[in-house]
Amino acid sequence: MISRWLTAAVLSAGLTSGPVLATPLRLPPTTRATLKNGLVVVVMPTHRLPLVDFRLVVRAGSVNDPVGKEGLAGLTAELLTQGAGARSARQIAEEIAFVGGTLSANAGTEQIVVTCEVLKKDFAVGLELLRDVTVHPTFPAEEFARKKDETLGEIASNKDDPATVANNALGPFLLGQSPLAHPTIGWEKSVDSLTREDVAEFHARHVHPENAMLAVVGDVEPSAVVAAMEKAFSGWSAGGTKPGDAYTPVPQARGRSLLIVDKPEVTQTQIRLACMGVPRNHPDYYPITVANTILGAGFTSRLVNEIRVVQGLTYSISSRFGMFRNAGTFRISTFTKNETIRKTIDETLTVVKALLEAGPSEEELEKAKRYLTGQFPLGLQAPDALAAQLLDIEFYGLDAKYVETYADRINAVTMTDCRRALKSYFCVDDLRILVVSNPEVAKKALEGLGPIEVQEPQ
Amino acid sequence: MPHALRTGCALALALITAAAPGLAAKKKSATAASRPGAEGSAPALSPAAFKVERHTMKNGLVVLTHEDHSVPTCTFWQWFKLGSRNERPGVTGISHYFEHMMFNGSKNVPPKEYDKILESSGGYSNAFTDRDMTAYYEDIASDRLDVVFRLDSDRMASLSLLPDQLKSEIEVVKEERRLRTDNDIAGMLDEQLYANAFLASPYRWPVVGWMGDLNRITREECVEYFRTYYAPNNCILVLTGDFDTPAALAKVESSFGAIPAQTPPAPPVDSEPEQRGERKAEVHYPAENVSFQVGYKAPSVASEDIYVLDVLSSILSDGESSRLHQALVYQQQIALDASTFYRTRLDPTLFEFYVEMKPGKTAAEGQAALDAVIDTLSRQGPSARELQKAKNLLEAAFVKSLKTNNGVGEQLGFYEHVFGDYNAMFRTVDRYRAVTAEDCRRVAQKVFVPLRRTVSVLVPDKEAGAEARP
Repeated sequence: MISRWLTAAVLSAGLTSGPVLATPLRLPPTTRATLKNGLVVVVMPTHRLPLVDFRLVVRAGSVNDPVGKEGLAGLTAELLTQGAGARSARQIAEEIAFVGGTLSANAGTEQIVVTCEVLKKDFAVGLELLRDVTVHPTFPAEEFARKKDETLGEIASNKDDPATVANNALGPFLLGQSPLAHPTIGWEKSVDSLTREDVAEFHARHVHPENAMLAVVGDVEPSAVVAAMEKAFSGWSAGGTKPGDAYTPVPQARGRSLLIVDKPEVTQTQIRLACMGVPRNHPDYYPITVANTILGAGFTSRLVNEIRVVQGLTYSISSRFGMFRNAGTFRISTFTKNETIRKTIDETLTVVKALLEAGPSEEELEKAKRYLTGQFPLGLQAPDALAAQLLDIEFYGLDAKYVETYADRINAVTMTDCRRALKSYFCVDDLRILVVSNPEVAKKALEGLGPIEVQEPQ
Repeated sequence: MPHALRTGCALALALITAAAPGLAAKKKSATAASRPGAEGSAPALSPAAFKVERHTMKNGLVVLTHEDHSVPTCTFWQWFKLGSRNERPGVTGISHYFEHMMFNGSKNVPPKEYDKILESSGGYSNAFTDRDMTAYYEDIASDRLDVVFRLDSDRMASLSLLPDQLKSEIEVVKEERRLRTDNDIAGMLDEQLYANAFLASPYRWPVVGWMGDLNRITREECVEYFRTYYAPNNCILVLTGDFDTPAALAKVESSFGAIPAQTPPAPPVDSEPEQRGERKAEVHYPAENVSFQVGYKAPSVASEDIYVLDVLSSILSDGESSRLHQALVYQQQIALDASTFYRTRLDPTLFEFYVEMKPGKTAAEGQAALDAVIDTLSRQGPSARELQKAKNLLEAAFVKSLKTNNGVGEQLGFYEHVFGDYNAMFRTVDRYRAVTAEDCRRVAQKVFVPLRRTVSVLVPDKEAGAEARP
C-alpha cells in the first residue's frame, strides 16, 4: 500500500485550529490536580469509545545524557518495561497483551514518555503497570545486556536507511557539541560504554513526581481518577531537586557549509537544509507557524508546489521548525534522484529567497490560516492525541486556554507579523546543507555552494 | 529502527478485526464500582448501537453513512474497486499513477485548484493504492462538506489527464518508487517476494509499478483506464462524522447522480497454478544486517480460514509476549525484529514473515529459528490463555481503529469492498471468538507448508547495487 504523500510533512505542520468550523471546537472540561507528592495530573473524560489512555511525561531526555554517554536516556526508557515491581519483562508483556492493551516507554530529546492504552474495564491493570514501570523498574542485568545489544544492532540497522542517516548526521552538523545534537539512540561508541549502574542512576536522578506529569483521557470519571492516582502513586516520593534545562541556545553559524554523508549505493539523494530556530514557547509562535505553512507545510505550500508539483523533482518536500524548551531548529527536508541534486537545492533556495524577500500574497496568508485552523480539531479526536496535547501545554508552559484560543490566535496573524517572522526566523544565507549520496556525484553537484566535508554514516 | 513491512496505514488495516457486539458482555469485576473507568462497559459496537445506512444510487454508486457528532468534522472516503490487480504487464503502476492524477485537474477544477480549494477550506486529503483498491479521503469541517462533494464529483465525472500534468507527475511517482523500493531494503525484498511467489496472479507485480512501465505508460492508456474503472458503479462512498444523513444524501445525489454508469470491467483473471516447491530470491545490496521475508500461499476473502490466520498472526507476532519475539528476539537473541503480515485480500495472497537479524547473524540461523516456532505452533496449537490473549488483542484493535471519523470510514469502506458487505465488520469479532486451538493447528498445518513458500533474502554485499557509482 502506497500513499499519495508522506503524512509526516503534514504532522510537521504542527497542530493548529479555525474560522471554518460549523460549531466552535468544544472539548470536554479538563480536571487538573497536583498530587501530594507533586505529580501533576490532568484528566479529560471522553465517552465515545470504551478506551482509556494514560500518558506520563518525565522532564528528562537525551539532552540529559552525560557527554560520552549519549543514548543513556533512550536505553533507560527502553528498560522501564523490561522488569518492574514484582514482574519480569515477560510478565509485563504478557499481562498488557492479555487485556488487549499497549504499554510503551520511549525517550525523546527532552522527555521520557510512558504511554498505556487499555479498554475501560482494564483501567486498574493499565494503571498498575504504568505506575510500576515508571516508579519501580528493576533493570535486571540480563535485560540490560540484551537491550544494549539490540540498541547497537539498531544503530547498525539505521545506517541502511538513507533518511535516518541524514537526520542523525544533521544534529551534530548543525548543533555541534550541544546536548541537543545527538540522536536519542546514541552513538555506537557511547552506547557500548553504558553500564547498568548508569541506567539506574539516570532513573534515580530524573524520574521524580515533581519532575513528571500525567494525563488520563478516555471513558473515565475525573474525580475518581484523581483519587485513584493519589492512591496509586502514594509510594512515589519527591526526591532531589527539579533539574533545570540542561543546555543553552546554540548560536547561529554564519555562511553556508556542506556535508556529504558517504552512501555510494543510493540512486536517490536525501537532502537537508538547516539553521537554528526558536524555542516552543516563543512570542512569535503563531506568525512563525503561519509563515512556515506558506513555505513548506501543506500540499499547496510554495515548496511542494514548485519542487514537486511543477518540477517533478521529488515526491516529498517540507519545511519545519523543531521547537524545544530552550532552543530550536529550522529544516527543509527532501530527496531527489542523484542527477538532480543541484537543481533541487538551487530551486529550493530560490523559493525560500523569493518568499523571504517579497512575502506571501494576501490569498496565501488567508489560505494558510484556514488550513491551520481546519486541521486543528482533526488532530484532537483520539484520546491519545488529546492526552499528548494536554501534556504539551504543561510541558512547554503554554496558555491553559491554548486549545480554545488557537484559532483566534492564528487568525490574528497579520501580513506584517508574517513578514516579520519570515525575515527574523527563516534562513537562506546562513545554512547547513547536508546530502546523503555518492560522494563523487555529490561533490560535483555541490561545487561552488560552500566548503564541503565528507563523512561516513555514524 | 527495524523496517515495517509496509506503511503505518497497512499495519492498521492488518489489524482489522471486527465489530465487538459482545464487548459489553465482559464480566464486571466485583470491585468495579470503586474503580474509576470501570463502572460498567460502554455500549458495544453492535449494528444497533453503531448505525450505518447504505444506499445505492441509480448509476450504481454505493453510499454508506455513519453519523457521529463528537467533533464538528467529517471524513469523506471514496473507495474505487481497482488496484494493481486490475492492471496488465506493460501498464503496471497505472492505478497508483491515477491516485496522483486524480488531484491534477478536472473539467471545472484546473490543475492545482483541487488542493488550493480544499486547504483554503481547512481540509486535508490523502489517498492510497493497494493490490485490491484505490481509496481517497478528505477530512474537513462539517460546514465545508459541500466543497468535497463538488471537487470529487467533478473529477469522477471528467478527469482532464492533461499532457503537462501527466509528464510532471510521472516523475513524482518515480521518485516515490526510488524512495520506497529502489533505496529501501524492506521494499526491495517485498517486491522480490511477490514477483517470485506468483507466476500468473496479478499480485506478482508491485503496486508502484515496474520502472520500465512507468517510463512508457501513455495518455491513451490512462484515458481508457479512467473510463473503465473510475465509474460510479465501481465506487463506494463513505461519509462519517458530523452531518445530517438525509441532507447529505441529497447533496451526494445532486453532485454524483448524473455521472453515467459504465459497463462493469471484466474481473481480473487469477490463473495461478499450485506451487510445488520452495522458491528463493536473493537481493545483493550493501547492508549492515541480514534480513529476509518468507511468504506462504494463503487464502483469499472467500475462505473462512482468514479469521484463523488473523489469530495465528497475533499469536506469532503481536507484542513482546508473542511467540516470534519471545523466541528470536528475547530468548535466542539473534534478531532485532520478527513480524508477520497478513491482510484479507480478494485473491489468494501471502502470509508474510519479516525478520531482521542482529549484526553478524545469518539468514540460515534466522530461518531455522522461524521454522521451529512455526512447526511447534502447527503441531501443538496455542495454549488456552494464548488463544484468549490473541482474541482480546484483536477485539481491542478493532475498537482502537474507530478512534476517528477517518478510522470508522476506512473500516466501513474496506469491509464493503473486500467482503462485499460492510456488515461483515460486525461479524468478525464473533468469528474470532469462535476460533479454537484445533482450528489454529489445522490452518497452520494447511498454510505453513515449506513447499508452498517463497523466501527473499537480503545478502549484504558492499559491491552491489551501486549503479550510480562512478
